[in-house]
Formats: sequence, C-alpha cells, structure tokens
Amino acid sequence: MNFNIEIPHSIDELVLTLNKFKNKNYRIGAGCTDLLMELKNNSASNLTIINISQVDDFNFNNVKLSNGNVDIGANTTAFKICENENILENYKTLHEAALNLASAQIRQVATIGGNICTASPSGDLICALMALKAQLYIKNSLGENREISILDFYKGVRKTDLKHGEFLSHLSLNSNNKNAFKTKSGFIKIGTRKSMECSVVSLAYHIQIDKKGNIIETGLAFGASAPIVKYATRACDFLIGKKIDSLSKTEIDTFAKLVVEYASPIDDIRATAWYRKQVLFNISKSILEKNIEK
Amino acid sequence: MVKIKGTNKYKISFLLNQTKVEVIVKASAILLDVLREDLNLTGTKPGCNEGECGACTVLINGAAVNSCLYLAVNADGKEITTIEGLVNNESELDPIQNTLIENGAVQCGFCTSGMVMSIKSLQNYYISKNKSAKTKIAPTNQEIKKWLEGNLCRCTGYVKIIEAAEKLLTEKV
Repeated sequence: MNFNIEIPHSIDELVLTLNKFKNKNYRIGAGCTDLLMELKNNSASNLTIINISQVDDFNFNNVKLSNGNVDIGANTTAFKICENENILENYKTLHEAALNLASAQIRQVATIGGNICTASPSGDLICALMALKAQLYIKNSLGENREISILDFYKGVRKTDLKHGEFLSHLSLNSNNKNAFKTKSGFIKIGTRKSMECSVVSLAYHIQIDKKGNIIETGLAFGASAPIVKYATRACDFLIGKKIDSLSKTEIDTFAKLVVEYASPIDDIRATAWYRKQVLFNISKSILEKNIEK
Repeated sequence: MVKIKGTNKYKISFLLNQTKVEVIVKASAILLDVLREDLNLTGTKPGCNEGECGACTVLINGAAVNSCLYLAVNADGKEITTIEGLVNNESELDPIQNTLIENGAVQCGFCTSGMVMSIKSLQNYYISKNKSAKTKIAPTNQEIKKWLEGNLCRCTGYVKIIEAAEKLLTEKV
C-alpha cells in the first residue's frame, strides 16, 4: 500500500486542495476504515488521499439543530451519532443504524459522510437516512454549493451523483411532522452475526402517526437486496391514511409485497436471492405487527 | 506534523503512554505498524489486519480504535495508549488485567491486550459519564457485550471475559 496524502485543516483548505487535485487521481478519506481495506487489497499507483479527518470545523464534524431541522456534518463519526440525544429521541432509525454499524472501535472513526459516499448496497446509515429522506449538501472545488435528496444520490453499485472535485459537506433531516403524536422508527439488520457483519438484509423505517392513530408520513428503505439501497415509495404511499392499530393481515401482507417489489437481490456468499426476498418480506411485515413504541 | 521535503514522509509527534514521541512515517503508514516496528511496542497484536478481530485495539484520546485501520499521520497531536501504557511506575498491572487473570479470562492471550484496551475504553466512557451524573451508573452485561463486539476471542468463549469486565466495571467506574 503506497499513496501520497494531503491534509487540509479547514473547509477552505479542502476546497483549495480539491481544486489542485481535481484532474489527478485522488480519493477522499475520513475515517478511512473502508478506504484502507480497499487499498490494502488493491493498491492504486500515483494515488493521493485527501485526508479530511483533520478538518477543524464544528459544522463539518458535529450534529446541530438548525431551524428545527437537524444538520449532520459529513465528518461526524458514527459514535457521535449514537450519543446524540436529539437523534435518539426523534430519529430512532438513524440511532439504531449507527449503533449497529461494525464495532465500537470502527464507530469511533467511521463517519456518516464516508458511509454515504462509499455507497455500499448494504450501507447501514444510508438505509436509515433514506427512510428519513435526508437532504445532502455538496460543495465543489470552486466553493460552490448544491443540494440533492439522498433518494436521488445513488446511481449504481458504489456509484453516486458526486462529481470529481466535489465533496459532501453535510446533510439535513427535516423535523418530524408537527401533527405526529407517535413515531414508529427503527432499523432491522439481518446477518449471520450481530456485529462486524455486512447485512444479508437491512430495513430502516420511520412512520409518523397522528393523535387519532392515522399514519401521516412514512419512510422505508432496505439494503443488501438490490444494487443500491432502495426506497420503497409504493409501500410508503400504501400506508398513508391508514390506522396503525387496525391494519388487517391482508393489508400488512400487501405492504410487505410492495416493499419486496423493489428488491432485485443476487445469490452471494452471504445468502441466496430467494432467502433475501423472503427475509425482506418477513421483516417488513414485522414492523407493522409489533406494538407501537415511544 | 512536518512533511519531510522531497519525500513522501512526515515527522509526527504524539503522546505515547504519557511520553512525548516523534517519529518519521510514510504517508501511507498504518499506526499498528508504527507502534510495533518503529516504536517496538509489540503488545499491540496484528490479527486480521482488517478491523474485524480487535487484537490491535489501542486507545486514541481514551477511546478504543483499531490501529490496523488508522493512518499513522492522524495520530499526530493525539494521546495514544497501548497495553504497555497501562502498567504504572511500580510495574503493577492495571486492575483490568488483574481481574482478567483472577477470573481465568485469559487463555492463549493473543486477544487479551485488545480486549483489555476495549474494557479500558468502556471504563473511561463510564467514568466520564458519571462525572456529570447524580448517581453513579455502571454498564450492564448487555452493554459490556455490545462494547466488546469488535474483539474476537477463539479460546475462552467470552464468558469469563464478560464476567471479569462486569465485576471490575461494577466497582471501578
């Protein structure tokens, strides 16, 4: 493994570094837990790592409240996300996804931006952020900004909308609906082991319910069952307006079928495509069969 | 941190087991290799070299991190603690090490240094949490298991290790 390294210490320096390297072979590394593994296996020549872990910028490295929304800097570690009380209280799916990411040691350094931009089909945080319909904010090497919904960000296996010379600066989560009285929010990860395991199937859900028990907003995404993490729009739409406590068995089955329609899994070392679809169907049902939490 | 002119190397300095050290490392150097090869601290073990087994766990600013997946340049300016750093001036073992020994939680010993460092980080986490708490709390059995999820042991079956950690952390947080 051999590469050069650039270490910007501020966002401005990062922008300048990207400008300098925009026509060269570079990769951006934050926690580098995935990147180093990749480079240990396939070392590229003339590669420069733009090491952003030492960028000293509060908004880039932390979770903060902003006009009722929650902004999360791309360099925020999974550990900080686990520890954030606002996320635990209002976006439980993201809390649980972060808590189930790899191991305690990895969570100390792995960042949310790294998980988003690595674009793994089984990315745990991606899955939760899709269920929450996160908005991503991107900066380029000229310092210009643009934004994109995470639902439109993924273009294929490990391919994103991020262009050469751009980096993810932060993401934003909308506050929950003001009429939401309860939320049913969580993250289910199925694997052969609880820790350090790439999911066989993962499912993130965030369902908001009003005082009368009507479902008013729904977000649901699943991982490891398609080339990218998938958002199940039709399944989400199906639930809107229904009463959470009086869903029939047929309605729950229909909902789970609508989720599975988005799956196109493959057979691989971890599971067969058939198994993945079956598990996805069962865990989709399970979220509506459980009693409402919180 | 200073880049060495005309090379792909950096001079970094950090606090290692409470002593300031300076070392010249390649840009792509991994902390685990620097600790073992350049600084001769072989208590930190190379296991899987891919962040799975936790044998290489060290503390960075008090928190457990896999040194096999950590760029050495990022250690610059930080406080690194390895298993060697837990022994005090009188060469006494850390209470964590003694509790593991007393509870029969060590067999081949390869995972032990990483396991000890992870337990230490959990102890640090609870000590800091308890500073601002009205009543002292200790981690539950489930929390200990969760915290040690990144440390593999192929000998003990974990039971003795978890029991030892629980015994220690109930008293010393």
